[in-house]
Amino acid sequence: MGRFWRLAGVILLALVGLLALAQEEVDPFEEAQKQKQQLLELSGGILPTDLIAAQGEELFKAKRGPKNASLEACDFGRGPGRLEGVVGRLPRYFFDTRKVEDLDSRIRSCMINLQGLRPDQIRRNEVVAIAFYIASLSNGQPMTVRPLMPQEKRLYELGEKLFYLRAGPRDMGCASCHVTYVGRRAGVLPYSDILGDKRVASHWPAFRYSNDQAWTMADRIRACYSNLSMPAPDFYSEPIIALTLFMNAKAYGGKMDLPGFIR
Amino acid sequence: MRRFYLPALLLLLLGLAQGQTGTTYITPELQRLIQAGGQNYASVLLRQDPAQALCSTHRNRLPAEVLGPFIEEQRKNIKYPADGKLMGDWKQGEAIFNTLARGNCFSCHVGSPLNIGGNVGPSLEKYGQRGTSEAVQRYTYEVIYNTWAYFPCTVMYRFGVGGLLKPEEIAHVVAYLLDPNSDFNTKPALKR
Repeated sequence: MGRFWRLAGVILLALVGLLALAQEEVDPFEEAQKQKQQLLELSGGILPTDLIAAQGEELFKAKRGPKNASLEACDFGRGPGRLEGVVGRLPRYFFDTRKVEDLDSRIRSCMINLQGLRPDQIRRNEVVAIAFYIASLSNGQPMTVRPLMPQEKRLYELGEKLFYLRAGPRDMGCASCHVTYVGRRAGVLPYSDILGDKRVASHWPAFRYSNDQAWTMADRIRACYSNLSMPAPDFYSEPIIALTLFMNAKAYGGKMDLPGFIR
Repeated sequence: MRRFYLPALLLLLLGLAQGQTGTTYITPELQRLIQAGGQNYASVLLRQDPAQALCSTHRNRLPAEVLGPFIEEQRKNIKYPADGKLMGDWKQGEAIFNTLARGNCFSCHVGSPLNIGGNVGPSLEKYGQRGTSEAVQRYTYEVIYNTWAYFPCTVMYRFGVGGLLKPEEIAHVVAYLLDPNSDFNTKPALKR
């Protein structure tokens, strides 16, 4: 009997060793968390995302544009001026613009309608900074996107179709990697499990520490296309909103980690 | 009933005009969505070929009744180098295999002594062990020219079909993989 237990112990140890080996493939979420901690210690508690969000807050509250108005009256779905948790409720249908809008396009709509700016006057880096500010007020909240309005349902279905669409000289489509090859690598990072892991859609907008970029989901989607030498859909365009709606609805119930901090 | 008749007929005619009945994935509604993404975006996505449409429709898992005709169709569009040689110059193949903007093979496959390989595709380490028989050369060439003739709807590019590599260039890559003197077979593969 004693020998049996000793043998069992050895097997157990070997299994633990194997597990440790298998974990050499670091979980990207843990890796990013470690980097975040290191950066926090180095900087005395300030992250690059805090600076971007602070810049966004300034832009959000400043009176700007021909109408000399701030964005404080902008309705992100919970009524004018209510910003807590709104990122987890977007994209959604808005009656004033009669469109399904995501975070980026809603900010843009308010800059046009409240501040009177022309579309060509809207600077991308300002929209991103404002998105980071709003995101910082949704941290820890749940993702609750659920397409209920007919316009939302329609766009969700189109987003799903677009997700599985393959085209171009490289036969590419989102699902070819993010469904079929989840966890495998072609390059540095493993393909994220967009439809299975709710954390993936719940950390946008995010700061990418490896190359110092502040990205919203729109930037992420556009880079996916560009990396495969496909032309990217225009900023604020419907394909981006449709894909975001599909992915966010799939992440229903996920806890938002905002602004995201990723490799 | 009558309300659906006319749109259905129009769709059918549209399909016939495009010569791809039964294999359209892009509905008029999806087409409008894609067009909203801008001209460049739409110009690539709306030019979906019937095989891409089938893979999209079946989410990359073709049902049995589609599989046979699909593979047959894919086999038909493989073209060979004018001189008939399936193994070219391995040195030129090395450049193609290891360049992101050309073959980009290393991103998914282990085996190159120059770049750390990925694990999306199977390892090709010491691929040359298979020898250089006509059958091995042909198989290797055809998988690179049109991988869907062997692995329907897989993520690997159809290099010949997509016009990404010329037949002669594919033959160079075949040589890089098979030539016993190629660095691919004489030097150790870089791994993560």
